[in-house]
Amino acid sequence: MDLFLHARGRRAKWLLIPLLIVLLTSCYSVRIVNKDGVPEPDPLNQSGNFYKGLKVHTLDTTIKLKLAEGEFHLIERCASGGFFSFEYRVNLGGVLLSAVTLGKLRRVKIKYVCLKEQN
Amino acid sequence: MATTTKHEIGKWDTFHSNGPFDTKVLYKTSLAGKGNMPSWLDRYNDAVAEIQRLLKEALDHQEGFRAYGSAWSMNHIAHHNDNMHFNAEMNLKKAILDDEMHPDSAFQRENLFFVQCGNTIKELHKFLFDHGKALKASGASNGQTIAGCISTGVHGSAIDVGSVQDYVVGLNLIIGPDANDIVYLERASEPALNDVFADRIKARVIRDDDLFNAALVGLGAFGFIHGVLIEGEDRYLLKRYVRKIPKELALELAETMDFANSAFVIPSETDANGKGLRPFHYKIFINPYRNDPEYVVEAIYKKPYQPDYPDPVPRMKTAIYRDLIVLFTKIAEKYKNSIPKLIRLLQNSVLPPPDLDATGTLGEIFWDAGYQGPAYACAVGIDHKDSPRALAILTKLAREEGPIPGIYAMRFVKQSRATLAFTKFRVNCMLEIDGLIWKPKKNNMISLEKFCTRTIELLLQNNIPFTIHWGKNADWKFPGLVAHMYGVKAGEWMHQRRKLLSKEQAKLFSNGFLYEVNLAEAVV
Repeated sequence: MDLFLHARGRRAKWLLIPLLIVLLTSCYSVRIVNKDGVPEPDPLNQSGNFYKGLKVHTLDTTIKLKLAEGEFHLIERCASGGFFSFEYRVNLGGVLLSAVTLGKLRRVKIKYVCLKEQN
Repeated sequence: MATTTKHEIGKWDTFHSNGPFDTKVLYKTSLAGKGNMPSWLDRYNDAVAEIQRLLKEALDHQEGFRAYGSAWSMNHIAHHNDNMHFNAEMNLKKAILDDEMHPDSAFQRENLFFVQCGNTIKELHKFLFDHGKALKASGASNGQTIAGCISTGVHGSAIDVGSVQDYVVGLNLIIGPDANDIVYLERASEPALNDVFADRIKARVIRDDDLFNAALVGLGAFGFIHGVLIEGEDRYLLKRYVRKIPKELALELAETMDFANSAFVIPSETDANGKGLRPFHYKIFINPYRNDPEYVVEAIYKKPYQPDYPDPVPRMKTAIYRDLIVLFTKIAEKYKNSIPKLIRLLQNSVLPPPDLDATGTLGEIFWDAGYQGPAYACAVGIDHKDSPRALAILTKLAREEGPIPGIYAMRFVKQSRATLAFTKFRVNCMLEIDGLIWKPKKNNMISLEKFCTRTIELLLQNNIPFTIHWGKNADWKFPGLVAHMYGVKAGEWMHQRRKLLSKEQAKLFSNGFLYEVNLAEAVV
């Protein structure tokens, strides 16, 4: 009996490890920054991070794809005509949603900063 | 039409979180759209009208007004309790036309650029590069606006060039709401632009060396700096080396600036006789808590521009020995939330190994330095010949009355002609300590304020003439501080201010900082 419980505990551990790996690695963000760009400023943004003093645009939505669709485009506009930075965030909920719906529902979390208009 | 939005913010803070400070209103002005107003000149003059409207409103309410751009100063020099104006969206820029040059000008037209106050150094790097030119120097960073740089004397470590204000040759100031309050100011001895240009921006011309030199590092007190005429030069590249060298050698160079006869030689940077070349930039990094036999130095040499060089930005992005705050936060990454552990780390570790060599433009070598968290910086200017002695005194202060979470650096800058430039010595050593803001009571440590006071007291006790960086942390209330640092020049600066501004205008452009350092005394 003890042996059986021990074996079950070990099996549970083995099941937990991949789950933990999925949990830890599935939440991340990627930020692309324009080397020569100057960001659009926002003096009211006092966030204590990369975005301090910058005008940040956020997209937080779920895209629904039709059966035959494999990709999608989001059209956004910067008055200056370009992006300074672009951050795409992936989290576990989004990954699970996409997996469960076979990629037809996709959670999109994006933060971007436009280029400062040049005059 | 230029438009201004009004925000009743209550509190205002600097980029490095050195506040917050009480503020009633923040204005933000955006230029008229290019589509609605295609002419550069119309947009510029339209912005003047908008600023004058705001100044009139402040005057009518007997309030003060202070413009700022990137808020990079680490004290309250850019702050006003009443009205603050964010001008970073005012970023027009233009090359100078043939018919705008003064007939007696010794400047080359191709090197002159007229830029609006809110242009950041990064924008100017790009604009000048697109015209085949480059800035002569920067503050070893690129986020500050041009008006903010010159108002506070921002400097890098360009030994033979100087600070940002030292390549400014003309200023367009708005000093009030009337037509006569738009001024174009330049040196009489070095005229650059003619009355045709002044007429175009509807300004009256003042050519006066003393007034120009006073207004150059004007602490925001000579009116609203609307436009700045800068002199660039042909594009060039910088080759950057970071080395660990014996500390005696690093300090001998600081004291003598004699690179030709020094044992510090970078093999690829010698003359035909094998003697060391004089670098464009020289900087020393010092951990005050360790008696390391070696210091890390950064030496940068100027090279002719050639287009096919590898992009240095990926290398500079990961470089450690850049901005002192960047270096410190890299070291502190692990212990940001535990100041005692961080201090122990500084006490027990040598500085990280030097970065790899890199070549790039000024804008690439001193690339973006983003927000690193609440930070402080204290910088004193001293004659380079006094620098080893001053370093010994101030590192002892950090060790014996501290510790505080920070490390020192020494940078070297040519003398400025600006009346209140803190780079007042022939060759200045800017001795600075930068780091993370700490809570003294929580950690049972000396406070930043007390540390700043002790810095002044020790330099006075040891008879080392000094100045303090206008945009950094200091005990600005220290009795007689400005009079001690600048002597008769402080009076000269106030005299020039009285020449330009009426009492009402002087009051409009005075803030708490100016009163604190006794430079607003002309105001009744």
